[in-house]
Amino acid sequence: MSNMWWLSIPIIITLFILLRKLNSRIQSPLLKAISNPVFLAITIFAVILVAADLSYTRFYQHSQLLSWLLEPAIVALALPLYQQFIHIRKNALLILLSCTFGVINATVVATLLSALFDVPVHLAASVAALSVTTPITLLITDSLGGIASLAAAMVIFIGLLGALFGFMLFRILGIYNHQAQGVAIGTACHAIGTAAALNENTSIGAFASVAMALSALVTALIVPLLYPFLSKALL
Amino acid sequence: MMKTTQVLSYPVLRYLISSALIIGSLAAAKTIMHLIGGGFPAPLLGMLILLSLLLCGLVKEQQLLPCASPLLNFMPLFFIPAGVGFIEHLGLIRQHWQFLTATLIFVPLSSLILISYVIALFKGRDHNE
Repeated sequence: MSNMWWLSIPIIITLFILLRKLNSRIQSPLLKAISNPVFLAITIFAVILVAADLSYTRFYQHSQLLSWLLEPAIVALALPLYQQFIHIRKNALLILLSCTFGVINATVVATLLSALFDVPVHLAASVAALSVTTPITLLITDSLGGIASLAAAMVIFIGLLGALFGFMLFRILGIYNHQAQGVAIGTACHAIGTAAALNENTSIGAFASVAMALSALVTALIVPLLYPFLSKALL
Repeated sequence: MMKTTQVLSYPVLRYLISSALIIGSLAAAKTIMHLIGGGFPAPLLGMLILLSLLLCGLVKEQQLLPCASPLLNFMPLFFIPAGVGFIEHLGLIRQHWQFLTATLIFVPLSSLILISYVIALFKGRDHNE
């Protein structure tokens, strides 16, 4: 087995492409959310490694080339952020304020829950930056001293929950405004939620894309300053 | 001497320029973070540097596309290896499953309610134009 680890990257790429093709063919919004290729790929590799008692460290070492590409990819996020920014100038302030409230709320609620459940500090840091897309949460959680992979899994689950139940919640709340629904889904439920929003309505999807990009920016600026303050006060 | 438009018509050169802009922003961010020694993630600072260059008009959208498009298209692939890492903490997850479940429910629920209410306050609750 030891000389088979070099297959890690080809297997990850092949599986991801296959899962993405499968996901693109699915029409039902419910199945589309559950068959999210990242969610399925992470689940499949996790099950294989645990069931076969294989070392995660070896798996990570041999697929590190993919992780290195994450850094330039995050820099490249400036492009969709810019593309969205120039289209929302009219509503920019309200959307920016809403995203900021959402990001602060997510960090405050997560830290309050950490204090309530009296969890270890590194677990509290792992849930401090959940209102942001997965690649950004990996970086921020790492910089806060949390478990980045756990935060990534949490963010993906939150996206799935948002995609499955987000619009049901809006119906219960009686909120049908596209901007309100889109910005809320984009900020709270990131990429998977945004994909569900695009499925629901293009206008809601556009607002969700803007909010997702802006919350990445807001989280990067606010959470590294807010969380140390909150953890000192509450944990 | 070749004009800029002629240079940009070569796909390889366009790709190299696009890559240089992204790698250059990342390198600048890493240098800044190394010099000031803060805990802010360098790729995020790199993203902000590149966004500033775009907003100032010093870098054009078209110049970034050749390298940025494939990077963004395959970005989910890049965090799969790190995402699998949660299996290293299964004991911790089992021990604190109530906390993690509460976080999974209350963090997005409170954010969805708060944000949608804030916007509905200014824009109304009904379908908009």
